[in-house]
Amino acid sequence: MTDNSGFSCEQLREIGAELALGVLPAEDRAGVMDHLEHCPACREYVHELTATSDALLDLVPGSEPPVGFEDRVIDRLGLSSVRRPRRRVQWRRFALAAAAAAAGLALGGGGWVLGASVGRPAPVAPIVSPVQPHLLTAQLAHAGQSFGQVYLYTGSSPWLYMAVDADGHSGTVRCQLQRADGSIVKVGSFTLNDDGYGSWGGPYLAGTSPVTGVRLLNADGSLLASATFNQSYG
Amino acid sequence: MGRIGIPLERVPDEALLAGLMTGDPEIAVAFVRRFQRRVFGVAIAVVGDVQLAEDIAQQTFERACRHAQVYDPRRGSVPTWLAAIAHNLAIDAVRARKTTPVDPADLENMMETITDTPERHALSTETAVELRRAVGTLPREQARALVMAGIYGMTAQQVADFEEIPLGTAKTRIRTAMGKVRASLAARQVDHD
Ligand SMILES: [Zn+2]
Repeated sequence: MTDNSGFSCEQLREIGAELALGVLPAEDRAGVMDHLEHCPACREYVHELTATSDALLDLVPGSEPPVGFEDRVIDRLGLSSVRRPRRRVQWRRFALAAAAAAAGLALGGGGWVLGASVGRPAPVAPIVSPVQPHLLTAQLAHAGQSFGQVYLYTGSSPWLYMAVDADGHSGTVRCQLQRADGSIVKVGSFTLNDDGYGSWGGPYLAGTSPVTGVRLLNADGSLLASATFNQSYG
Repeated sequence: MGRIGIPLERVPDEALLAGLMTGDPEIAVAFVRRFQRRVFGVAIAVVGDVQLAEDIAQQTFERACRHAQVYDPRRGSVPTWLAAIAHNLAIDAVRARKTTPVDPADLENMMETITDTPERHALSTETAVELRRAVGTLPREQARALVMAGIYGMTAQQVADFEEIPLGTAKTRIRTAMGKVRASLAARQVDHD
C-alpha cells in the first residue's frame, strides 16, 4: 500500500523500529503519520513494536530515590495539606475539573473510564501497613458467585473503583450506590469487554448518609452483581 | 468509630490511579511510594545524574496526576505507563544537555544487568523473563544497538558514531534486534492463549 505522499508499507517497515523506540529523526518522520492513519496493518505493526519498546524498560532495574523524595513530590503536586492548605484546594479544583472534563468527553456519566481490563483483576499485594479507615473493599457477587471486587474510599473526596470479571456478560453496565438511608443513586456506567472484564472508577458525592452497598446493573436493568459494606462508618 | 478498612497496599494499581485524580494526599503518597523505585530507576539509568533524575521522577508523577484520565490499561500496566513517561522525559533532558549520550562503562553495566539471569531480579514476570532471554540471545552488537536506542534514546546516527560503523549498519542492527525481540514476545503470547 502506498498513500498519497508515496510512502509505502515497505518503507515503514524499514523505520518502524526506530519510530517505536522514539529515536527516528524528525526529518525521517515525514509521511509516516499520514501512512499510519490510512494503513491498519502498519499501525498494528508499530503498535506491537511500541509495546516491545515499553517492555524493554521493564528490564531497567529499580532504584531508590534520594531521602525525602516522597515529600518533595507531594509538595510539588500541591498536596502538602498540613503546610500549605491553600495550594491543596487549588489542586483539588484542578483535579476535579480534569475529572469532569474527562467524564464529559468520555462518557458524560459522572466518572472516568479507565478502559476495559484485558486481564483478570490484579492479585492482591501482601499487607504491610495498618488499615486505612477510609478505604473499604467488598466482593461483587450474585447468587453465590463472585464477579469481582469494589474499593470504596470514604475520605473527604470520596471515590470508588471496581474490577469486574463477569464471564458470559458484556456490554454496558450501570453502577449504583446504596446508602444507609435507603436511597439509591447512579454513579456511572462502563463497558465490559467480550470476556466479561472491565474496570471503572470515579468520584461520588459524599452525601449525608454513608454508602452501604454498590449495585451493578445490566443494560436491561436486571441485577448483575452487588457488594455490601456491612460495617457502619461516617 | 467502628470503621473497618483495608491497607492501601491492597488496592490494585489502577484503583490507586483512579483515586489519585481526586487530589487526596493520602492516596498520592501511597501512589508515589508504590512506584518511586521504578520511576527513579529509569530516570537515573538514562541521565546518570541524581539531581536531574530526581527532577525527572518528580515531573513523571506530576504528569501521571494530570493525565490519569487518559491512562488506558489495554496498552500496558500502570508501572509500564509510568516508566514510559519517565523515559520520555529523561531522553528529552539528555538531548537538551547535548552531552555524550552514554558513558561506555554505563553501557557495559546496563548490558550486563538486562541480560542477567532473572533470579537476581525482583521483576521476573513471565514477559520480563522472556524479554531478558530474547535480548540475551541476540548477537552482542545487535543487543548493544537495541540498548543504546531503546534505553539511552540514541538515534541510529549516534549509534553509528559510537560504534564507528556506517549509518545503514546501525539502522539494520536496531531493526533486526527489535524484530527478533518482538517475535519472541508475540510467540509467548500465542503459547499462552
Ligand atoms: Zn502500511
